[in-house]
Amino acid sequence: MNVRSVATLVCGAVLAVATTALAHHSFPAQYDVNKPIKLTGKVTKVEWTNPHIFIYADVKNEQSGEVVNWAFEMGGPNALIRRGWTRNSLKADDLVTFEGSLARDGSRLVNARTIVMTETGKRMFAGSSGGDELPAQQ
Amino acid sequence: MLPALRTLVAAAACAIASGAAEAQWWLDVPTGGIPRTASGEVDHAAPAPRAPDGRPDLSGVWEPVKTYSRDLAEDLVAPREIPYQPWAKALAADRADGSESREDPPAQCLPQGVPRLAGAPAPWKIVQTPALTVVIYEAFTLWRQIFTDGRTLAAEVNPTWLGYSSGRWDGDTLVVETRGFNGKSWLDQVGNPSTEQLRVVERYRRPDFGHLEIEVTIDDPGAYTAPWTVRQRANLLVDTDLLEFACNENNRDVQHLPGGD
Repeated sequence: MNVRSVATLVCGAVLAVATTALAHHSFPAQYDVNKPIKLTGKVTKVEWTNPHIFIYADVKNEQSGEVVNWAFEMGGPNALIRRGWTRNSLKADDLVTFEGSLARDGSRLVNARTIVMTETGKRMFAGSSGGDELPAQQ
Repeated sequence: MLPALRTLVAAAACAIASGAAEAQWWLDVPTGGIPRTASGEVDHAAPAPRAPDGRPDLSGVWEPVKTYSRDLAEDLVAPREIPYQPWAKALAADRADGSESREDPPAQCLPQGVPRLAGAPAPWKIVQTPALTVVIYEAFTLWRQIFTDGRTLAAEVNPTWLGYSSGRWDGDTLVVETRGFNGKSWLDQVGNPSTEQLRVVERYRRPDFGHLEIEVTIDDPGAYTAPWTVRQRANLLVDTDLLEFACNENNRDVQHLPGGD
């Protein structure tokens, strides 16, 4: 069994037990559940759109000082509305910490599971199609 | 019910109790005619409602208990394994590791077929009348018409994603037969294929107020050597409703998914 098959099985097991949101595509094919990532940045754009919401944020590398714009995919508007979100929950210039899984294709893209607002400490689930909770690390 | 949904519903109930909210969003409107226990909880074990014609009334907003759209055979009834034809087995094996995910129609916002649509993690609504039952699916805002007026489907029809459905009652079970599929659907995200020869038979039963049981038989001699049957269950959602879901508004995922090269 190759590495990809193992990852698919692991992700499949996670998906089977997690509370899933609207998933119109394969989560494990797009994101690597074994590459958890936590990034803090300033929101630059909110796309409150189907099939998934995308938040873009400038993330500063503390060592180099370089600022890079990342994309964070979340559930669809309906999944988020049912978790208490509104389209105004996140706005440009909000400082936010995202936790989720890194895209497999090397792009600066994360499937966000949770979002913490820096100012208020409020923690919100992102309606990830991989489930609300980060899986146990392998 | 999802915890967040429960919170919303509770908030709506409080607002109504206090007389604060007259105008409401459809998401928060209390459902009428719901049996409640002494403590006010929905009595899901109460008898299933009956339509004026005496049939069980399947109407309501339903949510699948598992994501059957990921693996249709999650609750395989019979036979013990999916009876693939060799080419179908090879194709399903090719797709199973996710390497062809870009080709899965819903990844491109194309319809999830039948019965996958009912296993998508989104609610759907049955509206039952004597001669016609309509099912509205939140996933991609799709609908099916199930005619129970005695009509039968011609052999030659224009093939479609969701086919043509007609139903009849077998006691308290609504038996729905659907044909006329386009053969493009993956039956699930795992990648079980279908062909234009697909015939789906769904048997809907409402054993009590809060639960729906569906036995689904996949009869596709183009891809399988014998029919195979799976079971699906759905729970009633009350005090809420469907929302629009126009999938192809901003589909950025397809470029990040493997396959199609």
